[in-house]
Amino acid sequence: MCARLVILAGVPALVELVGATRQYGEFVALDDIHLALRPGEMAFLVGPSGAGKTTLLKLINREIRPTSGEVWIDGLPAHLLRTGRVADLRRRVGVVYQDYKLLPKLTALENVAFGLQVSDLGASDEEVHDRALDALEAVGLGDRANAFPHELSGGQQQRVAIARAVVVQPSVLVADEPTGNLDLETAWQVMKLLEHIARFGTTVLIATHNLDIVRRMQRRVLTLVDGRLVRDQPAGRVGRLAWASS
Amino acid sequence: MGVVLKAPFPRRQRPLTVARNTFRHLFLDSARAWVRNLGATGPALGSMTLLLLLSGLVGLTAYTIQRLAATQATDAAILHVYLRDDATAADVAALRARLGADPRVAGVGYTTKAAALQHAQSRPGMSDLAGAADDNPFPASVDVRVRSVSDVGAVASTVGTNPPVDPILPTSYNPTASDRIQKALLVVGIAGGTFLLLLGFVAVAVTANSIRTTIMARQSEVTIMELVGARRWMVRGPFLVEGAMTGGVAGLVAGLITLVAGVTVVAAGRSTFAQIAPGVDAGVCLLAAALILLAGLVLGSAASLYSVHRQLEA
Repeated sequence: MCARLVILAGVPALVELVGATRQYGEFVALDDIHLALRPGEMAFLVGPSGAGKTTLLKLINREIRPTSGEVWIDGLPAHLLRTGRVADLRRRVGVVYQDYKLLPKLTALENVAFGLQVSDLGASDEEVHDRALDALEAVGLGDRANAFPHELSGGQQQRVAIARAVVVQPSVLVADEPTGNLDLETAWQVMKLLEHIARFGTTVLIATHNLDIVRRMQRRVLTLVDGRLVRDQPAGRVGRLAWASS
Repeated sequence: MGVVLKAPFPRRQRPLTVARNTFRHLFLDSARAWVRNLGATGPALGSMTLLLLLSGLVGLTAYTIQRLAATQATDAAILHVYLRDDATAADVAALRARLGADPRVAGVGYTTKAAALQHAQSRPGMSDLAGAADDNPFPASVDVRVRSVSDVGAVASTVGTNPPVDPILPTSYNPTASDRIQKALLVVGIAGGTFLLLLGFVAVAVTANSIRTTIMARQSEVTIMELVGARRWMVRGPFLVEGAMTGGVAGLVAGLITLVAGVTVVAAGRSTFAQIAPGVDAGVCLLAAALILLAGLVLGSAASLYSVHRQLEA
């Protein structure tokens, strides 16, 4: 299996989709997607419900394979990876969901530590504890480390989920509607946190319906409609959003 | 907010850490989860214990029967020619010489009346009978070791009219007894095997179901593990260990019961048992217990493997 590097403006791409198509029977969820993301780049994936946003994120995390085309993640061909090697890719891709997916019987610290423990058997107890606490402090929850998920607000739970995703220091972070359950102010805080993570070199791709935040962030925006990438607006030039205005 | 995550820690004693974490994840965490889910695994544990216990008892019985059959096969090739009490030494010697010259005969021995009595007194249930009569009721015999069991009947038919031979019960040859025993053994074997197969199927199905329930109950944990990059064996391993634990505990309980029951019976009825169950002693019971434990581990792991494969691979 060979690695692949696509150079974007002198920087190798961390995420690259080449003619990626995904079908479910006759239904085409994604159609011939060409896309490349650089290290440290933050991008939004927007589009109406059923446009293929979640499918695209699943391709990146190798939850599914493309029906045709290629998906390269940090040099790994996700489209070719056998099941036994998916774990290698997953350690390079952090995932954040709208419903947080925290384990209810574990504290915030244990939830973050759990992600590290199962992905890195070489980490000692002390290292796991310190890194999990660091990650919680990085998302502003160092003082709530011993709280259980039900004792945390939605925004706090999402930050714990982000801490769990980044504690293994992934190259890529994908977030599927991370602010879907949050009020605007909390959503804004979570977005600033993701922006902060991107600043340290992690590629961040966020699927969202929250167009206010997309406009305010002024980051690259990829618009999907009916499984096709209809628009790719570079950072700082986000004006009208194609599908929202149509 | 805004604290930079630390770079990875220096990895000192990494192999030791990996080994410790692997052991903890695979065994300690699995043991804790197994104890926590004991209510759910109870039916599987019970049915598997019952299966293994019955297997152990049937196994011991089968071993006993096999030894009995082997003894019977050896005995069947020995033909006792019973002698009249008034048979002369010359007639007996002539009979022994004639039988010894028969090419179908491997050897000829002689048992006196006194030896026959002594032998009878050593057999369970016969000692009272032997002592009940004033006279020695047991006849002397010429003991003929026939080369092939199939020739025993033919050899027996040649001695019936000899002068020293008892005219009422000339020989120990019983043409129908052997067949009856063989048929009975076959029927018992088929019935026991079918019963055990059925019970084994039930036990494996119940165990597989209980593991499936466990996986479903911990689906979110499994999903998160897979999403954060846990290797396949890390996700599946603990479930296999839990299945093996269910089988192992069932095997241990069933094995101990078999061992205790076997040793107790052997010790309590040594004189009787030596004849009824030849070859069964504490060592055989211990071996049976070990085999039951092993069978439990294999059954539990296999049921778990099947369930994990079906549930997680799907």
